[in-house]
Amino acid sequence: MNAIIQTKELSKKFKSEEVLKSIDFSLNIGEICALIGKNGAGKSTFFKLLSGQMIPTTGSIQLFDKKSPNLDEARKRMGFMIESPVFFPDFTGVQNLEYFRLQRGVVEKRRIGEVLNLVNLTHAKHKKFHTYSMGMKQRLGIALCLLSSPDCLVLDEPINGLDSEGIVEIRNLLLQLNQEHHITILVSSHILNELQLIADRFVFIKKGMIIEDISKKELEEKSKKQLHVQVDHVAKAAQVLESHYSSIQYEVIPDGKIVIYNHVNDAAAINKLLITNDISVTSFHIETYKLEEYFLDIVEGEGK
Amino acid sequence: MMNYLKSERYRLTRKISLHVTSIIAFVLIIVAGFALDYFGKNEVGFPYATTYFFYGNVVNGSMLIFIIALLVNSSLTGKDLSILKQSISFGISKSTIFWSKLILTLMYFLLLCFIGMILMVVLGETLFTDSESYLKSFLLASVNMFPIVISAFMLVHVMKMNQIGTIYTFIAILVIYTMSDGMINLMFRLVGPLDELHKWTPSFLLNENALFYTENAVTFSWECWVVGIGLSIIFLTIGLWQFYKKAID
Repeated sequence: MNAIIQTKELSKKFKSEEVLKSIDFSLNIGEICALIGKNGAGKSTFFKLLSGQMIPTTGSIQLFDKKSPNLDEARKRMGFMIESPVFFPDFTGVQNLEYFRLQRGVVEKRRIGEVLNLVNLTHAKHKKFHTYSMGMKQRLGIALCLLSSPDCLVLDEPINGLDSEGIVEIRNLLLQLNQEHHITILVSSHILNELQLIADRFVFIKKGMIIEDISKKELEEKSKKQLHVQVDHVAKAAQVLESHYSSIQYEVIPDGKIVIYNHVNDAAAINKLLITNDISVTSFHIETYKLEEYFLDIVEGEGK
Repeated sequence: MMNYLKSERYRLTRKISLHVTSIIAFVLIIVAGFALDYFGKNEVGFPYATTYFFYGNVVNGSMLIFIIALLVNSSLTGKDLSILKQSISFGISKSTIFWSKLILTLMYFLLLCFIGMILMVVLGETLFTDSESYLKSFLLASVNMFPIVISAFMLVHVMKMNQIGTIYTFIAILVIYTMSDGMINLMFRLVGPLDELHKWTPSFLLNENALFYTENAVTFSWECWVVGIGLSIIFLTIGLWQFYKKAID
């Protein structure tokens, strides 16, 4: 069994509106998978169906080796944080975690201290929840997810409302959890460039449908955009390129630079070609899309 | 279910506002008893320093008991229901949540009722001396009220669990437990086989129970138990079914 989460033809309708349309998805052990989509694309609905907060209209969910509707046992091995975490406002951080520790049958009380330490909240453990900042609330939410030492985390916007320092902390934490504790993670965020730093798979969702599912490697390949070459003899280089690649699209820009818009995958051959034609290449690099630009391209069709 | 009960007990024991409200209620009972006793001894012709009147506040005060039921139940349901989404996502079944909250709040409510009854009886029997004893009538009337009060508690629970507003819950209690008699009578009095139906409504049974108490002639009413248990089953069935269907988000 490689998949922790598997959905087949999963759909959710609210009255006449179908917010999720036949989602086939799987999350494999060890992955950090990013679910990416605009507001209202269906990300949170998908997470709520996985967590049991909503019941699917059609389709099936499999968590570990358990199939819907009998998923309660499987969910005990997971940690969900969907939208903003909710706690008792008049309880302290420790009291809130103690409530859930008892509820989830976590035997070791010291686990509370461990998870608070992991999310860097030890200093605020005796403060009441309503005094917490947004970032502290998010971190307490992650601490709650980690309380029962889950095999998989499902996090909806975990860095929402965090300052840049907090974002880095959560990023490092998620990487640590994945790499050192072997926790599989499904995560969504609006800060796409953060996702690019941690995820090794990207699933794009639009209007309730998965429109692309690619690995980090594939994304890197696909997102190669332009070849930037700086040479000593621009005119000669252009002539050489044209003679070897009849369909080449390029533009000469100041400072002896040529920007090549296609044949990006032939970068090594182009470099060799220029050098063998006695053209000195002083700079040669591939400019890639950022995830944000790629997202705009495929989700909104507004890419450059 | 045991884990969930433990966690809810942890929370209930830290609900200071609820404990303070409970203590205030007990203090009010004591103050009422002593106030009646004081005026009975100091005001000539004061007619209310009697066990008949003192116990009668409970027998005729079912609405107050329903409000206490609403308060107690709200303490573990109410606004805190938003926490449920986390419990459900961690694999706690809706059934466990529904029954655990019911068991715990009901136990707390029964404990309050029990302490309240003990206080009433102790105060009534020590402070007042009537020409005839109303203790037996009071206890029997309380036994008759018990299943109907419990059915109201179930109604409150299912409405709160389904996140129906407090005001609607209060209106539902008002209609079912104080107006159902008149409404059913109005609707069916001309329909031959159903013209006696209003006698099986909780408001009729509570009124009849209070009436018998005034005559010091209360007997055990199996009708109260049939209606109370029947209503409880109906409320729980509909409420649980709705709760299962409900999205918790």
